Amino acid sequence: MIAMEHRLDAWMVLAAAAILGTSLVTLHAVSPAIGLQMFFRQLVFGVVGLILLLLLSRLHVTVYERLAPVAYGLALVALTAVLWLGKTKAGTRAWFALGPVTIQPSELARLATALMVAAWLARRGGRALTIKEFVVVGAFVAAPMALILLEPDLGVALTYMPLIVAAYWLGSLPARTWAALLVVAVLAGVWTWQVALKPYQKERVLTILDQERDPYGAGYQVRQSKIAVGSGRLVGQGLGRGSQSLLRFLPAQHTDFVFAAWAEATGFLGATGLLLAYALLLARIGMVAATADSRHGMILCALLGSWLAFQVVVNLGMVLGWLPTTGITLPLFSYGGSSLLACFAALGVVQSVWRFRLVYQ
Amino acid sequence: MDIREDLGPLRRRSAILFLAALLALGALHLRLAHLQIVNGTYWRQMAENNRLRRVPQTSARGRIYDRRGNVLADTHATWELLLFPQDTRDLDRTALFLSQIGIADAATLHQRLHTPGEVPLAPILAGEKLSWSQVARIRARQSDYPELHVVSRFRRQYPHGEVTAHAIGHLRPVLQSELDADSTLNANSLVGATGIEELKNALLSGADGESWVIVSAVGQQLGVVRERAASSGTDIGLTLDLDLQTVAREAMADQAGAIVAMDVHTGALRVLYSAPSFDPNLFVGRLSRHEWENLRDDPRHPLQDRCSQGAYPPGSAIKPFLALGALTDGLMTPEWTVSCQGSLVLHGHPFRCWRRSGHGHVQLRRSLEASCDCYYYLVGQRLGIEGIERWLKAFGFGQQSGIGFPTERPGLIGNPEWSLRVRKHPWYAGETVSVSIGQGPLLTTALQLARALAAVANGGLLLTPYMVEGDNPAPPTRMAINGTALEQVQAGLAMVVHGPEGTARSLARMPIAGKTGTAQVARLQEGVLSKDLAPELQHHAWFVGWAPLDDPQLVVCVLVEHGGSGGGVAAPMAGKIFAAALGLSAEGPKPTPADIE
Repeated sequence: MIAMEHRLDAWMVLAAAAILGTSLVTLHAVSPAIGLQMFFRQLVFGVVGLILLLLLSRLHVTVYERLAPVAYGLALVALTAVLWLGKTKAGTRAWFALGPVTIQPSELARLATALMVAAWLARRGGRALTIKEFVVVGAFVAAPMALILLEPDLGVALTYMPLIVAAYWLGSLPARTWAALLVVAVLAGVWTWQVALKPYQKERVLTILDQERDPYGAGYQVRQSKIAVGSGRLVGQGLGRGSQSLLRFLPAQHTDFVFAAWAEATGFLGATGLLLAYALLLARIGMVAATADSRHGMILCALLGSWLAFQVVVNLGMVLGWLPTTGITLPLFSYGGSSLLACFAALGVVQSVWRFRLVYQ
Repeated sequence: MDIREDLGPLRRRSAILFLAALLALGALHLRLAHLQIVNGTYWRQMAENNRLRRVPQTSARGRIYDRRGNVLADTHATWELLLFPQDTRDLDRTALFLSQIGIADAATLHQRLHTPGEVPLAPILAGEKLSWSQVARIRARQSDYPELHVVSRFRRQYPHGEVTAHAIGHLRPVLQSELDADSTLNANSLVGATGIEELKNALLSGADGESWVIVSAVGQQLGVVRERAASSGTDIGLTLDLDLQTVAREAMADQAGAIVAMDVHTGALRVLYSAPSFDPNLFVGRLSRHEWENLRDDPRHPLQDRCSQGAYPPGSAIKPFLALGALTDGLMTPEWTVSCQGSLVLHGHPFRCWRRSGHGHVQLRRSLEASCDCYYYLVGQRLGIEGIERWLKAFGFGQQSGIGFPTERPGLIGNPEWSLRVRKHPWYAGETVSVSIGQGPLLTTALQLARALAAVANGGLLLTPYMVEGDNPAPPTRMAINGTALEQVQAGLAMVVHGPEGTARSLARMPIAGKTGTAQVARLQEGVLSKDLAPELQHHAWFVGWAPLDDPQLVVCVLVEHGGSGGGVAAPMAGKIFAAALGLSAEGPKPTPADIE
């Protein structure tokens, strides 16, 4: 048995770079409607992200285990500080302004939370979670989520959910606990519907159930998104020629609905290519998880993979008209520097698990 | 730690997670195929029927009233035609249609389509002030020309255009930098460019709105996605008096010049008229380049507001202020006597009085009445250029009046420091002599002279002129003027109108006091009479005065560019304003000298 440094998993980097490239092409194509500045910012953040991936992959995987509490603590401090010192955009106080760039700590804190949960789960060994441990794991994720809900940013807060679910799944809860959780989830859902959701949010859910409901109001975004995707047909309308994106029917076409702009321009072929890139990315992360030599590495990769998969599936579900609009972005694709950096950093951590694994010979 | 611990169950659970994710992706891929392949044609049709337009909604600018409630600037709704370039199928066909109904021709449309700096996807303005029949014809052919969109728009209108043009000001298209800074503006917005329209733009303009409208492929409106309603601006009442403005315009006729009338006690402006005037209604829509160049390049500069931007040598009109300064400083007494022989040698140069034969013995009152130059040459020598500058500054010369127009010129009080800094040569002692009679490097505006004389009339309060009712102008400055000196100068200014030698005797039937000024444009050669000069070399004529004599209410300042003599040209114009403002009759009984005393 020898410990050695392996090479980077090139397929994973290739998939990520392909998605980033697609993102840049799309942002450039819709620049007549949204301006070129976003393209250049995404380019800069993309390059910085790739460098970050390479740097983080060189850190030994045990460093992430040891530093997890520090990173997690810093994340909580940043999420608290932003509530006072942050810059407000569209009613949400979620950004630190550093000169021309703004940093969104809620995007970066997710990685720290995943590190913390993974380190803690790995330490406690392989037996099933006790009730106390169940609460502790939940609290690790709930704390940053609560702070983010105070900003308030429901979309980003939701992206922490897969960490909880995956942690419980990997921690092997007994069946009766799952049943209890299900009951609680249903009750919480009813409560949310009755009390917590604002009327416009309810409308968004209702339009998913009844697609023709209020096509110029709450159903407007989803409808426009479906028109954009559908009108791409097999080969697309061509880059820079999609009327939905260029005429600005498509809402948030550089963030939440960016996939629709790509699907409109390149059709089923281009959209399939992009889905394949995501499939490759997730498959390689799954492969790293499967071949990891330690409980920690395995849990870490599974958590990060769940996070990315959740965002991809929920975002595409929204764009394709299956899920209500929640403001969850498409990883590595949607415009946004902090989100991009967080995704590349997560991939860097996965690569570290891959490079420093033991090989039995 | 046992690195060989059994990771099998964990590995299985992890693998299930990733398989679930890939399955979900697969399901999404099926959904994608359903949207794009199975129903693609349907959605493509939807996209083609899907036209989102951002339709600007203009706000109604606030009205502007004069002090009696006459509307000086109004707003009324008109139809406008917008053209959305991205929906155009055949621009030439559309241009043909529009020219048939008399709205626009192909050349204009092409030019507006390719105006640099247009916001992408923003509509262009294809026609303004459409008639009902034009609107009806467009509506009838809407499905053939889906790119046309008729909107209503509020348009400025100035019912008394040229009478109040400079005071009210005019509008201009918004600048790109202003568009970037203010999201409530749109590319077709107009903002105040000059006058009250500029000064009170924030109050008058309200906020433009916009609506995002979905229209079908044939131009039919399907729904409103989002709307930000326009909000109207605030109405403004002015202190101006439309009747007096009209009198001023009639008095000035086709001369160039400025007439300012101001309340003696408050600084409220009653008249602010500059000639030649222009029609501000030209600026309420899209001003053609040709019209703009005509106005801009007009040799008579109609766009210039001569009341606040025209700085001219004041000539003798400056004398009362120098006399007050010298008296207050104790440099002379009202009884001080100068013997005027028609000229005076100072610093080795002869300086002539305007009356070649001389005035003989002259004291303060007669120096004002007959406007003796020799007397003021010597007053100027006693004050020195520093004293002249100090006193003229105290009366508000050489600085903006505070009315608030950014384009207002401060005028000029020449002095040795200025000479070195700007002209790069030293101050000549002879220039102090010239400045003593309002010539040389001394420039004032009509607004400044009116303000300064109001301070003489009201007993030494330097007011800040204002034009908007309800504005609180800066509080007046109490000037440190000797009371006896003030009375003596006031009496001298009454003699200008009522004395036997007064330079404004033509107004003697009215209870007015004032001072004429005749500012040389060119130095007269020996033996040349001023009336023989070419028009552009004629003197500038000034009159500034107040009325009634014993209870001053109104101060009027008249400047006539190249008008000739102040007493002959400017004073009668001021007389008409006084007559109209105070109900005085130019035909009334002539006051006796006893009344004046």
